[in-house]
Amino acid sequence: MSEPVTEVAAPVGGSEVAQPAQAPRLRRRSRLETWLFLLPAALFQLVWGWYPLLMAFLISLTDAQPMLPSHFTGLESYIRVWNDPLVGQAFRVTFIYGAMLVALTFVFPLLIAIFLMELPPRLMRWMMILWFLPISVIANSILWRYLYNEQYGLLEYIATDILHLPHQPFLNDPHQVLFWLVFPSVVVAGPGVAGLAYMAALQGIPRSYFEAAEIEGAGFWRKIWTVSLPRLRPVIAVMLVYGIIQGLQDYTWPQILTGGQPEGASRTVMLYLFSYIQNQRYADATALSIYLFLAIFTIVVLFRTFFKEDPDA
Amino acid sequence: MSMLFPKVGRKQPLLRLGWWLMVIVLALGVLTHLLPFYIMIVTSITPAQETLSTTPVLWPLHPTLAAWKLIFQWAENSGAGALLAGSAGEPFWVYFWNSFFMTSVTLLISIPVTSMAAYATSKLLRGRRARWTFLFFIGTLMIPLAVLLIPLLFLTLNFPFALPGGSIPTIPGTDEPFPTLSLYDTPWAIIVPGIFNAYNYLIFKGYFDTIPDSVLQAARVDGGSEFNIFRRIVFPMSIPVYSVVAWIQFYAVWDSFLWPQLVIQSNDKAPTALAIYTVMNNFINSGVMDRATALSQSAAMRSALAAGLSWNGLMVLALLQTFPIFVMFILCREYLLRGVRIQGLK
Repeated sequence: MSEPVTEVAAPVGGSEVAQPAQAPRLRRRSRLETWLFLLPAALFQLVWGWYPLLMAFLISLTDAQPMLPSHFTGLESYIRVWNDPLVGQAFRVTFIYGAMLVALTFVFPLLIAIFLMELPPRLMRWMMILWFLPISVIANSILWRYLYNEQYGLLEYIATDILHLPHQPFLNDPHQVLFWLVFPSVVVAGPGVAGLAYMAALQGIPRSYFEAAEIEGAGFWRKIWTVSLPRLRPVIAVMLVYGIIQGLQDYTWPQILTGGQPEGASRTVMLYLFSYIQNQRYADATALSIYLFLAIFTIVVLFRTFFKEDPDA
Repeated sequence: MSMLFPKVGRKQPLLRLGWWLMVIVLALGVLTHLLPFYIMIVTSITPAQETLSTTPVLWPLHPTLAAWKLIFQWAENSGAGALLAGSAGEPFWVYFWNSFFMTSVTLLISIPVTSMAAYATSKLLRGRRARWTFLFFIGTLMIPLAVLLIPLLFLTLNFPFALPGGSIPTIPGTDEPFPTLSLYDTPWAIIVPGIFNAYNYLIFKGYFDTIPDSVLQAARVDGGSEFNIFRRIVFPMSIPVYSVVAWIQFYAVWDSFLWPQLVIQSNDKAPTALAIYTVMNNFINSGVMDRATALSQSAAMRSALAAGLSWNGLMVLALLQTFPIFVMFILCREYLLRGVRIQGLK
């Protein structure tokens, strides 16, 4: 260190337990520094995190006029949103979409991570670069809009010219649209951030666990089931909760691919919320968002009670 | 790193077969994962008319850079851009610069702020105080963005009041409302709310937790200030986690769509993500993408197709949107695996 060493009355040696024994001046200084470390982030978290959260509940209880003074209206907007027939449909769509997205795509990062760790280092390096190659969600959704085109899209070509099926509606069929919205994520599934977390956690498993399992006669899948997965359990739990929260408020993908069509069959809560905002129905939009919050919260709590974290891991 | 395949007897034919099967599955998977890139590139160098043909172009039969040239000409003058985007025609580099500006400024402010808070919670605070600070920072993690959307919108409109414009309280004793600051329709509306990020905070804290205290104690005895310890000892040790967070956040901000759609109004302030969406909608609405109208020589078709633009142009834009994310990934790739240590929410 190029710093000139300042003489402070720090006890020489015993540095492991030195904290309580520090001179008062040094302790005061380091406490001040601690607050300086925390202050900027704390300010932003307070002003752009907790304060809007509090205000969301408040705004939902008013009529939130854009220009005129607002009035306290109690639960009126909640009741209005509750009675909106399209809200029920939006929640149904959101749950089906979110459930399908999590169910069909959640395992892939896990499997890819486990398999990648088996490769010799050089091969793993190259495979990792290719697997983790990121694609812009915007770009990908525009591409799939092209592939889904009913006149000249690639999927239409595969369905009619290769599989000799009749003309396929894909995104235009209200009963199929949600499946076709999830389908691209299944086909081009990549490991993403979740896969990265799994690989890092897998690296941390002591080799001896696998060796012990091997001596006990465990094979390939058995080792995954009894060693890898239990050790990954906390990471899986975090990723699953995060995946559910993300899946239930996906916006970009349905907005670009269908915009909620046909007949609202792919209009998720987020899309409907956005149309509320565009119509300046701010109070209703906030009430709707709090309904969504309650739904997500219930699901996460239920999930937490059934999927307890491993006390061992 | 092989852990699942046994050390001894690897040469057994069945095990060998199994290993190769796994490699083949991984390789095939990677191919489908890369398929979108391939189709985008091929489509971007296909002539406009062919992108509308019923037999999809999987191999560039008549490769042409027409679409690329047009998009970059659009970068030079807004003539072709106006044609493409209707009234929404700015030179393309304007959007690109907007995206670049908001992403890099967010990263430059956010990463030091977030990592210093994570470091303080991890290493400088102890006991109950550390636990409460931690909860204060990650408490918003499980709140869906949807709930914050409207108050945040008001906050960007009438900072520091998260209230609609008509409800700003008046200065006591007068009829004047409090003065407010509007971030709406400026890049700051995207930058400022993204500065503290609870998810990145969690990643940073998970990493700092694994740094042994003895390293820091040694430096403290040498008389380094906490900030110097952080800058000269902790930061160089933590390059991997910094690159992970930089990559994740770059990806997230560069590709953000919902929030910019809400707070960016004027076209010349839009990031590329929004501009591409606008162009796509203009294309679709003008019937350029519809085979029937395109073949019946509609006016919109004549202008765009004659210029050589259709899905090939959109794919050029899509590739341009992907490219910076790609570069960021290449820059950070060496560190990605070493930087992630998520400790779970305990």
